[in-house]
Amino acid sequence: MNPDLTRKSPEPAARMSRGLQWSLWLRSLSLQASWNHQRMQNLGLLWNVLPWLRRKKRHINRDRLFCRRYYGFFNTNPYLANFLIGGLIRLEEDLADRPAAESEFIGTFRDSVGRALASLGDQLFWLGLRPTLIMLICFSGLLGQVSSILIILGIFTVSQLVLRWLALQRGYELGMDIVDLLFDKRWHLWIARTKRAGMVLSGMVIGLYLAQVADTGVSPGRGMLWIGTGLGIGLPVILRKRLPGEAMIPAALILALLLTFAI
Amino acid sequence: MVPWVPPGLISDPNLPALMILGLMAGLLALDDTALAQTWFGQPLPAAILTGYLFGDPVTGLAVGLPLQLVLAGNLPVGQTFTGDPTSATVAAVGGSLLAGRPLSPVSVADTAGTLPLLGWVLLGAGLLSMLGHPLIQAERRVNGIWMLKGLHSLRDGRLARIENLHNRCLLTAFLRGLVSGILFTLVIHGVWVPLFAHLPSLLQTSLGTLPLLLPGLGVGTLIDRYGLKNSWHWMALGMVGTFFAARYFSGVLP
Repeated sequence: MNPDLTRKSPEPAARMSRGLQWSLWLRSLSLQASWNHQRMQNLGLLWNVLPWLRRKKRHINRDRLFCRRYYGFFNTNPYLANFLIGGLIRLEEDLADRPAAESEFIGTFRDSVGRALASLGDQLFWLGLRPTLIMLICFSGLLGQVSSILIILGIFTVSQLVLRWLALQRGYELGMDIVDLLFDKRWHLWIARTKRAGMVLSGMVIGLYLAQVADTGVSPGRGMLWIGTGLGIGLPVILRKRLPGEAMIPAALILALLLTFAI
Repeated sequence: MVPWVPPGLISDPNLPALMILGLMAGLLALDDTALAQTWFGQPLPAAILTGYLFGDPVTGLAVGLPLQLVLAGNLPVGQTFTGDPTSATVAAVGGSLLAGRPLSPVSVADTAGTLPLLGWVLLGAGLLSMLGHPLIQAERRVNGIWMLKGLHSLRDGRLARIENLHNRCLLTAFLRGLVSGILFTLVIHGVWVPLFAHLPSLLQTSLGTLPLLLPGLGVGTLIDRYGLKNSWHWMALGMVGTFFAARYFSGVLP
């Protein structure tokens, strides 16, 4: 069932009540707290949207069905999840007086938009912004700017909290039309830009490190940097799998022992 | 005192300091996945914050920077989540400082002095992080069991149950971080750092090389993620530009 809920009419943008927005926003920060292997963020999502249901008069049968709608497998990107949460609240409101069968459509909407946001968010945050920010704080660390590391992360924290707040309202305004948002070409532009920034910053970290070890006279430093880089690129190729960073440390120790023997 | 352990190897822990470190590890463990994900739980900021807590952010920088670089390729995403670097980092910095062994960053450390100890502490942090992995997985399995308990609300519509279950998961993540933080600190402070003096000299020399290998290893992992073909020219641009700028403005370097 796919009820006609698109809103392209010139009516003023819908606004979520401030109290509900605060409540949803605060809860959205812990969307992943109950992450589990079976259904991932399902419990977190249901917990997230409960403030909306709590504002209604108790109705056991409706509450039961509401819980059922949100208890299936669910996974999305936590930073972009609020677009979907806002949209879901809007759909719940729009479908509140419709037959129960129509409400099942919410599950389909949740799954498809959730998956699309997960994919965009993984590319933008985990593979784009995260390495970029990590390299930026490492660059600051190499310069000995300890407090600037905390400032950079503070700026990121405030920005992502603001994004989550705005996304909630935007998702609510758009409702079903969030789908249009997913096709916005700017997502891919930002993904490409953040990845490129990460690449340049990685090069900057290498450049600064090389200059520092050359200046401070840590004699084997330069050679070790290149050997380490070669090992980092080569190990996944040789082993045909990516090792977690923790496993790289003992691997590097074995290499260090071999180098000590060789020297 | 354990009879088979050499005298002086296990030192007494400082209880209030341990509790503070545990609380710090608990809060940062929440940040890792469960709450807000501000990235203050990443190894470098976690190490610096721990360092600040004990009045020595430089030791935090010394431990956090190589760890951050080598763990740069780890993704904190659902199924691919590996290790517990947050608790391990807090313990590595806190444990070293509690043991009275402050550390210096690679660029200012001397190869024969603090660098081997830094390598030893980094190795300890890596191993403890791997040790924390089954704990995180156990926490997620428990979350799964509690999630299944929530199925009862699908029958009786009791919303309070859902609220309680989710809050319980949040509390578990904090407690897991707190307990890991305290236990790992005890290991670093009581066993790992004192054990360094008893290591063979060959191993100590190799450990001095370890912190020098890790930055390259981390960057290499990122190149692998980006793809060498796509990234080499952007990286070369950043590297060459920064190298010459740093040499030219060498006065601004620490």
